[in-house]
Amino acid sequence: MPQPVIASVGASPLGRTDLPGRDLFSVALAEAFDGLPDPADLVEAVYVGNQSESYEHQIMYGTLLAEWAGLRHVPAERVEGCAAAGALALRHAVKDVRNGEHEAVLACGVEKMTSAGTSGATDALSAAFDRAIEQRSGITAPSQYALLAQRYLHETEATERDLAEIAVKNHANAARNPRAQFPKEIDVATVLESDPIAPPLKLYDCAPVGDGAAAVLVTTAELAADLDRPQVRVAGSGASANNIAVAERDMTDVAGARIAAETAYEEAGIDAAAVDIAEVHDAFTVCEALLAEAAGFAPAGTGYQSYRAPAERADGWTDVQLSPSGGLKARGHPIGATGLLQALEAYEQLTGAAGDRAVEGAETALLLNEGGVADAVTVGHVLTTAEAP
Amino acid sequence: MTDGGLDATDPRTLPGFFDALADGELLGGVCADCGQVLLPPRPACYACGSRAVDVEPQSREGRVFSYTAVHTPPPAFAADAPYTVAVVELADGGRLLGRVTADYADVAIGDAVELTVREPTAAEREVALDYETDWPVHVFEPR
Ligand SMILES: [Zn+2]
Repeated sequence: MPQPVIASVGASPLGRTDLPGRDLFSVALAEAFDGLPDPADLVEAVYVGNQSESYEHQIMYGTLLAEWAGLRHVPAERVEGCAAAGALALRHAVKDVRNGEHEAVLACGVEKMTSAGTSGATDALSAAFDRAIEQRSGITAPSQYALLAQRYLHETEATERDLAEIAVKNHANAARNPRAQFPKEIDVATVLESDPIAPPLKLYDCAPVGDGAAAVLVTTAELAADLDRPQVRVAGSGASANNIAVAERDMTDVAGARIAAETAYEEAGIDAAAVDIAEVHDAFTVCEALLAEAAGFAPAGTGYQSYRAPAERADGWTDVQLSPSGGLKARGHPIGATGLLQALEAYEQLTGAAGDRAVEGAETALLLNEGGVADAVTVGHVLTTAEAP
Repeated sequence: MTDGGLDATDPRTLPGFFDALADGELLGGVCADCGQVLLPPRPACYACGSRAVDVEPQSREGRVFSYTAVHTPPPAFAADAPYTVAVVELADGGRLLGRVTADYADVAIGDAVELTVREPTAAEREVALDYETDWPVHVFEPR
């Protein structure tokens, strides 16, 4: 079976931009193919992660971006899974290469979230929730996660200050990331005193709305070597859906995310302790706590300690570093591109291209990308250096 | 599988569920194999996969499992904000999300609430899909 690898990555600027979605993609593609043959000479299929047509009244993103990449008559499709769309696109590309169907597949993601304003984005994201009961009750993305956070604070020793510290840590990481939407440090008081969005969550507990695109080239190890590109192995991939309604789930154990991570570990032949860095889906601060537990990094009820140095965490924690990119919180969260931005961070970390934010000795990365509320769908990938055992 | 005859009068469909709710009856699916309560009812049990799902009336009394307040609502509900939303665990074991007719500061986990039903407001009808316009809206009232 061919070994799928990531052979190149690229991204657009993140945040409020003056480019439409397809143009953001063109920027990401240009970076990913800098120094490579044109996409038309390499790429055999395209998957596009994209959350909603409501931002730009545009579907057919597979066809559109294939065309904008100069490709014709290749399989191309949009993949939808709310905020997990990007990692689903990556997963499809990985499977195509692994099963021998294609030697080079483009996984990309794009979202132009600022075009409809905050209310438009709120409305578009609400479509991820069960229509009959939840949408009709006026629930929103922050308030869904606030329900999880409220219950988490009730069941564990975590405090609102601990959640704020997660945001502070991710901003500190983003301050060293030239790609970040918010490359600036903040303090705990800034988070705790920010406007209430859905208590206990405040503005600075929430990832921003923003525009952006990312492109990841998945190839065989042989082709990456022929292209003379640094390569990162995609050693494992897992995905799992949970109930769409948050009410029907265990609200402090994100079991779908746990299964996605464990499937990826199993394929890679590793366990949680082997993971050096993890990009987790911190759309809201509480998510990082929940995912640290689901990924097996932290004993139940202690995931909120992710902001602390490894030696200061509870017994049973691994020494993993979470979201060196700054995470969704501060790196940015252009929905359909987010899962691929996670892959981009891991690629740069594992190929020695992460500059000031490089995590020393990192050889193994876990990516967890969620869609809907928490683990309504989760995609997990394990990436390793070519030299990793 | 025995779902072939499902029509809009069957409470395992949304129209059937909301028709009963409009008459004041909260119906749940109850798995004959594992006992899982499904709100609203549906043809299969997510807990065990069984398609042996009975439809049974559910208690409308419950307790707040988690709650929050929506300060940044979807455009259709802007006039209502901030409003309180909770996940409620009902006495028969099912869980349902809905609005609570109380201020956020007056709600706590474990509080007793009761499910009531009202007609949609004009604003809610405005954003309803064609098939939803007559569906009632459930809200939880503190007991
Ligand atoms: Zn069952």
